[in-house]
Amino acid sequence: MAQFIVRRLLQSIPTLIGASIIIFLIFALAPGDYVTRQFENPKMTPERMEQLRALYGLDKPLPERYVSWAGNMLRGEMGDSLMFKKPVISVINDFIWNSFLLGVAIMFFEWLIASIIGIYSAIRQYSVFDAIATLIIFMLYSLPSFFLGLLLLKIFAVDLRWFPVGGMITTGSNYTGWAHIMDVAKHMVLPVATLTLISVGGLSRYFRTNMLEVIKQDYIRTARAKGLKERTVIFKHALRNALLPLITLFTLEIPSLFAGAMITERIYNWPGIGKVVLQAIYVRDYPLFLGYTMLITVLTILANILADVLYGIADPRVRLK
Amino acid sequence: MLRKKWLPLLVVLVFTLSVVLSACSKPQETQPSEQSKQEQTTPTASVQDNDSWTKAKDPSKIPEASKSRTDTLIIGLHEPAGTFNPLFYETVYDAYVLSAIFDGLIEVDLDGTYIPGLAEKWDLDKDNNTVTFHLRKGVQFSDGTPLTAYDVEFSYYVVADPTYDGPYDLAPAGIVGFKEYQEGNADKIEGIKVLDDYTIQIQLEKLMGTTLSDLSITVIPKHYYGKDFKKGNLDGVKALVQKPLGSGPYVFDKFVPGQEVRLVANENYWKGAPKIKNLIFKTTTDETAVQALQAGETDYETSSITANKDNVELLESLGFVDYALLPTNGYGYIAFNFYQPKFQDVRVRQALTYGLNRKAIVDAVYQGLAEVRNVPQSKVSWSYPPEDEINPYNYDPEKAKQLLEEAGWKLGPDGYRYKNGEKFTIHFLQSTPNAVNDALVPIAVENYKQLGIEFIAEPMEFNLIVEKINKAKEKTFDMYFMAWGLTPEPDPYNIFHSKGSQNRNGYSNPKVDELIVKAREELDMNKRKELYRELYKALNEDLPYIFMYQRNDLNAKNMRVVGFQISSFRDFTYSLYQAELLQY
Repeated sequence: MAQFIVRRLLQSIPTLIGASIIIFLIFALAPGDYVTRQFENPKMTPERMEQLRALYGLDKPLPERYVSWAGNMLRGEMGDSLMFKKPVISVINDFIWNSFLLGVAIMFFEWLIASIIGIYSAIRQYSVFDAIATLIIFMLYSLPSFFLGLLLLKIFAVDLRWFPVGGMITTGSNYTGWAHIMDVAKHMVLPVATLTLISVGGLSRYFRTNMLEVIKQDYIRTARAKGLKERTVIFKHALRNALLPLITLFTLEIPSLFAGAMITERIYNWPGIGKVVLQAIYVRDYPLFLGYTMLITVLTILANILADVLYGIADPRVRLK
Repeated sequence: MLRKKWLPLLVVLVFTLSVVLSACSKPQETQPSEQSKQEQTTPTASVQDNDSWTKAKDPSKIPEASKSRTDTLIIGLHEPAGTFNPLFYETVYDAYVLSAIFDGLIEVDLDGTYIPGLAEKWDLDKDNNTVTFHLRKGVQFSDGTPLTAYDVEFSYYVVADPTYDGPYDLAPAGIVGFKEYQEGNADKIEGIKVLDDYTIQIQLEKLMGTTLSDLSITVIPKHYYGKDFKKGNLDGVKALVQKPLGSGPYVFDKFVPGQEVRLVANENYWKGAPKIKNLIFKTTTDETAVQALQAGETDYETSSITANKDNVELLESLGFVDYALLPTNGYGYIAFNFYQPKFQDVRVRQALTYGLNRKAIVDAVYQGLAEVRNVPQSKVSWSYPPEDEINPYNYDPEKAKQLLEEAGWKLGPDGYRYKNGEKFTIHFLQSTPNAVNDALVPIAVENYKQLGIEFIAEPMEFNLIVEKINKAKEKTFDMYFMAWGLTPEPDPYNIFHSKGSQNRNGYSNPKVDELIVKAREELDMNKRKELYRELYKALNEDLPYIFMYQRNDLNAKNMRVVGFQISSFRDFTYSLYQAELLQY
C-alpha cells in the first residue's frame, strides 16, 4: 500500500507541471494585465504604466515569467497579491476557512438528505413518494443559485427577519465561545440551505440509480430467499454495495470544499475565497489567482489518490496485489 | 389593515396628549401650535444635512435594530480589500475607510475647489516657481505625536520611491530633482525643503494651475512608518498595511476580512472629537445593500445601491431613509478613431451626434436618473460652463442628413451613403457585458440606418478593446463607447491635447491645444474659469467624442444619522466627525 501511494505521488509530478504550465499560459495570454484596468483613469500616464509593469515583472518574456513564478512556488513562496498588497498565502488563509466551513456543512446535509431520498425512492420505485421527490428535486436542481438565494433572502431575512441579511457574524459583536458558534450558525442557515437544496438533486439520483441496480442483483434475491429481514437486506446487503461508486464522488468533492461558491458567497456576503478569486480574475491579480488555482490542483490530485486507496480498501475485487 | 385599525386610536392618543401637554405648559404660552410641539419632541442635530439630500419624514418607521445602537454608526460599502495605507490602497472602498483614519494636506470643497486641510494655507510664488505649505499647528497623530512638515516630506518620499506601486504619481508635478531621485543616484529630492517644523516648500520646474492637484497628498507619520525607510525599500511601510495610524477623526481598531472594519473616535481630533463613538464599515453587496438598510443592519450605504428609479422608489417607500443622488465624477462618451479620414470632417461628427437619439439610450439604461451631457465635465464642477452657451445637439435626423450631404456623403441606390466610392460604415467595438452598450447598439443601428450609415457592432471583452485602442493607427475600428473618470482638477491635457498621453485616437485641434495649455498654466481661479468656459465651448462644437451622459451615484442613510454635507467631490467621509445619531 505505501509503495502504491508513493508511486502515485511520483506519477502526479508531471501532471502537476503540465497543469501549472497550462494554468499559467491561460492566465498570461488572456488580454490585459493588472495595469490595464488603469485605462479609464484619466491621470494615468503611459510612463507610469510602464514603470508599474516593470515593478510587477509583467514586462518580461513569458518563459522567464513562468520560470521565476514556478521557482518561487517550489520554494513555497506564492508571492504578494497585487490587489491586497500582502502575501497570497495570508489572503488565502483569511478567506479559505470560511469557505471550508460552509462547504462542510453543505456536504453533510447534501449527503444526508440525498441518501435518504435516494434510497427511499429506490426501494419504493414509482411510488407517489418517488414521483413527488423526483419532481421537487428537479425543480430545485434547475433553479439558478442567485435566484433561489435572493428568494430565500427576501422571505426569511427581510420579510420574516428570522435570519440576518448577510455576513458571517453580527456586525460589531464580540462574542466568544458558544455565543460565537451560535452567531455564525445563524448566519450560515440561508447560504447552506440554498446550496444544499440545489445540489441535493444530482446526488440523490446517484443514490437512487445505484440502489436500483444493486436491488436487482442475484445476491439480493438470495438474501431475501434466506429469509433475512427487509431492513437487513436493504441496509446491509444492498446499501453497502450501492455506496461503492459513490466513494469516488465523495473524495472528488473534497477539493471543492476549499473552492468556495462564487455566486452564493456574493449574495449572502459570506467572506469566502470564491468571490475573492473572482475579483482576482477580473483585475488580473495573477499571483493570487495562480496560487489559489495551484492549491486546488494539488488538492484534486491528492483526492484522486485518496479515492483509489479508499476504493481498494472498500472493495476487495479491485484491491491491489 | 392593522395600521388602519390603529389609526383612530392614535389620533385620540395624540389629541389627549396635546391637551395634557398644553395644560402643563406655562400660562403665558397660550395654545402652542402643533408645529412647535413637534419641535419639542423631535431631536435636532447641531450640523444639518446639506441640500444634496432628499429627507425622509417618518421616524416611526426606523427599525428597532438600528435604534438600539446608540453610540455606533454602521456604514455599508463594498468589501474593503484591507490595504489600509493611504499611499498604497487599491480600491475606492479602502480609500473611504482610510479617509476616516487619515487627513490630507489639502481638502476638496463641494464644487471641487481646493480648500485648506492639514495645510492651513499655501503661497504660490510664480516668479520662483515654488509652493510653500504652512501646516496647522497643534495637530496630533492618534498616538499623540505632533504632525510636522517632516511627516509631509516623508509622505512625498514614499510616493517618489523607485519601487513605489501605489495610486499616486508625483511625476506630472515636475518637482525639481524628482527624476534624478527616482531614476538616478540622488539620495535627496532637491526640490522638497522643510523650512521649519510647520513649513514645507516645494520647488517646481514650472508652477501651474494644476500644481496643487499634483501635490495633494495624504500625510502619514514618519516616526511610525519610517523606522526602516531608505530609498528603494518600502517593505517597512508596506508591512504596516494592517495597522494604520493617522491623524483623522477615527482610530483603527480591528479588521475582519470580508466582513467589517471597526474604528473608534479619535478624542483629540483637530476639528473636534467625533460625536459618534464607534464607526463600523460593514461589507454589503449590490444585491443586499437596500435590504441591510431596511432591516436596520446598516445606517448608511454608499455606492452599493445602483441609482435607478426602482431603487429610489423603494427607498422612498421605506419612509425612514434619506437619500442623495450625486452626479458621478465621470461621463460616458463614444470615441471616434481620428485615424479614419472620414472623422476628420467636423460636419460628419456633428451629424453622427445629431443623428443619434442619445436621450433614448440614456433613459433606457438609467430610467431618467442620468442626463445627456454635451461637454466633458461634471455639472457640479466650478469649471462647468453656463448651460445656454453649449449646443445641446438634440436628436434631429434631418439636420444630420443635411450635414452629411454638405460633407459630400451622398445617398447611393442601395440606401447607404457613399463618398469617393467608399461606403459609410461604422465598425463599433462593443465591450460586454455592459448595460449601456446593450441599449446603445440597437438604437444606433436603427438611427444610423435612417441616415444611410451602416453600423456594425463587434462584441468583445474590455481588455481586448483596450489592446485595439492602443493600436488605433491600424484602423481596425471606427468608434467605441467608454467612460472617463473626473477629478476635482478639470485639466484635460492627457485626453484632448494633441500630445496628451491618453489621446489614443489621434484627436488634434490647435485652438483646443492652446486653450488647454493656457488654462492649466493659469493660477488665478477666475481666469481659469473663463478659459475652461472657452475650452468647453470649443470642444462642444468640435466634438472629439459624442458626449453621452453623466449618471448619478446614490447615497442612502437612516434618518437617525444627521450631519452629512456632501457632493460628488466632497465625500461623506469629510462629514464623519460632525455626524450625530439622533435618538428617536
